[in-house]
Amino acid sequence: MPELTSSYVDSLAPNTAAIKNGQGLVRKKSFIQLHRTENGELLFGQCAGSGKTPYECSADFVAPDSPVFRCSCPSRQFPCKHALGLLYAYVEGQTFTVAPVPEDIAAKREKAEKREENKVKQAAEGSTAKPKKVNKAALKKKITAQLEGLDLLEKLVLSLIRGGLSVIDAKTLKTVQEHVKQLGNYYLSGAQIELRRFALQLGKGEDREQGYTYAVQQLTRLHAFIKKGRSYLTARSEDPELALDHESTIDEWLGHAWQLTELKDYGLTAENTELLQLSFYSYDDQARQEFVDLGYWLELSSGAVHKTLQYRPYKAAKLMREEDSFFDVARVPLLYKYPGDMNARVRYEEMSPRPATAADLAQVQAYAHRSFAEAVKLVKNQLKNPLGDKQPVLLLHAASIGVNGQGEYVLSDESGVQLVLEDIPSLSQGTVGLLPYLPPVCFGKCSLLVMFEHQMDRGRLAAQPLSIIHAEGITRLL
Amino acid sequence: MSTALLQELHQEVRRLYIAGSDLAAEDFRLKRLLPQFEQLGERAAVFKKLGEGVAALIRPSAAGEDLPAVKLQDLTLLLESVLYTQGSTVPSGDAPVQLQGSSFGLETKISSRKIAAVRLALTTTGSGRYETVLEAFKDGVFQDLRLLPLAVSALGDPYAELADFAMNKIVPSYGPAVADYLVGHFNPAGGKSEVRKLHVIKAAGRPELLEVIFKAAGSGSDDVRAAAILCLAGQQEYVQALLEWTADKKKPIREAAYTALAEGGSAEGLERLYEAFAGKKDRELAAFALAKWPSAPLGERLSVKFMEELKEALAADHKDSKKNDTLWNVISLYLIALTDIRNPQLDEIFRYIIEEYDRFAALGWLHLLDRAAQYEETAQSEQGLELLRELDNKSVRYLSYYFRAAQQLLTTKELYNEFAGGSMLDKMKARLAKDAATRNRVLQETLEEQILNAERVFYELSWDYAGSRQQYVWEMLSLDRIAAEWDPRWLDWAIERDAPELVSALARPGHSGVQEYLLAKLNREGKHRKDLDFMSSLFKGLERAGFTDTERQELLISVLEQHKFSNPYSIHFYLLELMLGFPPSYAERIAAVVPKYRYESKNQLEYLVTYLRSKQQVT
Repeated sequence: MPELTSSYVDSLAPNTAAIKNGQGLVRKKSFIQLHRTENGELLFGQCAGSGKTPYECSADFVAPDSPVFRCSCPSRQFPCKHALGLLYAYVEGQTFTVAPVPEDIAAKREKAEKREENKVKQAAEGSTAKPKKVNKAALKKKITAQLEGLDLLEKLVLSLIRGGLSVIDAKTLKTVQEHVKQLGNYYLSGAQIELRRFALQLGKGEDREQGYTYAVQQLTRLHAFIKKGRSYLTARSEDPELALDHESTIDEWLGHAWQLTELKDYGLTAENTELLQLSFYSYDDQARQEFVDLGYWLELSSGAVHKTLQYRPYKAAKLMREEDSFFDVARVPLLYKYPGDMNARVRYEEMSPRPATAADLAQVQAYAHRSFAEAVKLVKNQLKNPLGDKQPVLLLHAASIGVNGQGEYVLSDESGVQLVLEDIPSLSQGTVGLLPYLPPVCFGKCSLLVMFEHQMDRGRLAAQPLSIIHAEGITRLL
Repeated sequence: MSTALLQELHQEVRRLYIAGSDLAAEDFRLKRLLPQFEQLGERAAVFKKLGEGVAALIRPSAAGEDLPAVKLQDLTLLLESVLYTQGSTVPSGDAPVQLQGSSFGLETKISSRKIAAVRLALTTTGSGRYETVLEAFKDGVFQDLRLLPLAVSALGDPYAELADFAMNKIVPSYGPAVADYLVGHFNPAGGKSEVRKLHVIKAAGRPELLEVIFKAAGSGSDDVRAAAILCLAGQQEYVQALLEWTADKKKPIREAAYTALAEGGSAEGLERLYEAFAGKKDRELAAFALAKWPSAPLGERLSVKFMEELKEALAADHKDSKKNDTLWNVISLYLIALTDIRNPQLDEIFRYIIEEYDRFAALGWLHLLDRAAQYEETAQSEQGLELLRELDNKSVRYLSYYFRAAQQLLTTKELYNEFAGGSMLDKMKARLAKDAATRNRVLQETLEEQILNAERVFYELSWDYAGSRQQYVWEMLSLDRIAAEWDPRWLDWAIERDAPELVSALARPGHSGVQEYLLAKLNREGKHRKDLDFMSSLFKGLERAGFTDTERQELLISVLEQHKFSNPYSIHFYLLELMLGFPPSYAERIAAVVPKYRYESKNQLEYLVTYLRSKQQVT
């Protein structure tokens, strides 16, 4: 059983409300019984709910790395507040009387064991999994539909441009929103999101003049997407045997959700990697209609900056676990990498934490770009690709961080090349305002994780610092 | 590469997107740009391509050709790709100065989820924000640099309690270094949030920041100026400025200046306040400033003046009610300015006022007489008591003053004799007096004021789901104090007066009659009285009268079951504590009555049932 601390229990909770509610149960003294087994592997108890019979909840640490929480309450949150409350009661040092393992839990443990065994057996036997059969007719039908959808989208986009953005009013926006819905019928969920983003940029109302520039960019992006998507789909419809494009992001744009097995098949995996989180934040993406938990991680063996993305659709947000900052190093046995640009999306199914050390931090410093000229070149190369990620994130080594008479924060590299740090519009929170108030250690030998964005109106490539990595650790600005 | 030209072209295509691509044909601005692209195109292929795009766009579309909208999209896509490679990253200003770091010592180690909850609370509106912030502050979440800007912006939160909490707790918790941050983000022309910033800057207590405050006092918005002026109180070097501000055109500024001078207490300041008081125009402002920051020497000077003006006023003509009011307005400001002052001159003035009771009462200046009575009540002197007795003889209005003054000088026994005792004959006489009923009522109220709602008692809100908060309620005097401060005969007096709450407070075991009286009250009045405090008082009385716990619990459950509370919002904490002592077997009896209750009382009873059931299981 791992050592239970309140911060560990916090990290198990799906969201902050669950933490509060779990602690509330302890304070309210709702736990009628608290027991533990002789070896301490199982905590269980009864918690009074609103009904007549109390809930039976338990926390099973038979596999210390992946504890199992069970509860008889109907909550869809997992672990529920009762299981969390049970752990908080334990952390608080309330008395748990020793008792034998209850029958039902023993039965459940047995079943779980059997499942594990079966899995191992199956893996051993069926290592040659059946190749997935592709239903060619269905695929063809889908591709035709997608092509039709692209035509529909193009028609709409061109008609909008023909009339001009200035005449777009609430009624036109409604038509656009209707098209957003229609695109769903054509298996174009990626296009749906981008079209909705366009509508949002014009719908805000108050500052339309600024919105125009972004709207124009969004239109050309849609144009590029339609062109590229059409040629890609045409090629696929002619040759249904053609595999997915695992090098570019076009499939994602078309709305394909990569499955881990597919990534594995294409060899987009890395074994035994170690990841250190450099930055993490959550935001509300109205175009996706999802909350997004976004983390930037450094792969310690290669120096690549990856990102992890978790989407929490509005409708399911309450039931899904909200990701959080991660301060340890994650040891990942199998890392899946999505097709992408500089900051490809990664995922993993299992990981075990280990504390970050000074050596890890030194490693981060070593990977930072020492020449800004080269770094900027990399960034611009990615930006000029119409369908590329427009907010690349890079690790830069800082020879000095200063502020000039105009109030510009300036980052310089060893050869004296300067880069202005400023807040970029696509991040909802500013960070450069915090720079003068950071502790002195941040301005010694350090590296910065920065996000770039090109500002078309001003003709500037802006860079916003996300984190500062220095000798004593990582100072997260976001 | 000519970035300026590319930018210009971008402006033009942007214009076409806004106006509509159908207007592109023969667009003269694009036409004007075209030769430059053609010229540059000879050297760089990209310009050539862009030039071709422009040319195609402005050519009237022929049949079979792409639509202008497509041509515009193609051109812009290419142009944007080029522009993306031209983004400038160099600073426009001079050479930068290396950042050194600040003394804040704040880290950014709090997890994102916790920060996000606070950020949401401080950047949106809605219920529950205050609790979130309070909790976060308790857990130390605010000791994260990322929340500093939010904490400071919370000073301007529309929910004033939250803004005040930020001012008093959160922002000062960052230490004196925060004052620099606030100075850097201070906007003298702002409103309430800036006023709060000033308070925090002042509280940091760093003399070098006074200059900032002084500047704000001279040139801010009215709110900021007034607050800044108040912050300058007691600073010798700014007295001169404060004196000048007392002549400001705006009343709030003058008001702040007078208050600051009164607080500072400098000789020049007091002289100015005296002048203002004498000058009548700002008499009111000076009076309120002095009420807040009393000064003994100035009080003496004002007292002399008070006597003069009082005599003048009394001698003046009062037939015109308007004139009478004006005179009163002038005099009443003395009472305000001298609120906390006591000196021989004032002794004389108030004696004079009481001696002239009839004349002042005729003018309707009751407030003046009340103040005189109050002054004598707190004098703790034989003469004062004598004067109050005189007043009491004139009007029952002063009975309570007389009673309280007597309380300080007489023993409990003497007190009872003076007000309720005496021989049979005296009592008979008292009963026959024409204001006897009023006198008794006033006396009862005076007693109730002192005995009921006299002490704060804290209770744990154990049933409250939201957190283990404590709440206090005002309750009757404790037993020890009743025994020490009140003559036992008051109990009989209270029973005779039929004052059940007083009886409850004064009850003691072994008294003949009190138990019967209280039981009768419980059975008779309990059915009608909605007041819950009353019920809890009765049960306290029962406890004091010597009923055992079991007896009282039995009475209480019968009250619950007979539903005598008639739907209270919540059950008094004292009663709930008594209920928690119920034998576990009562759980079902209570569960049966729960549906009759609503609101908080229902929660309380549900908690009680769970509690008793859990006790049941343990035993």
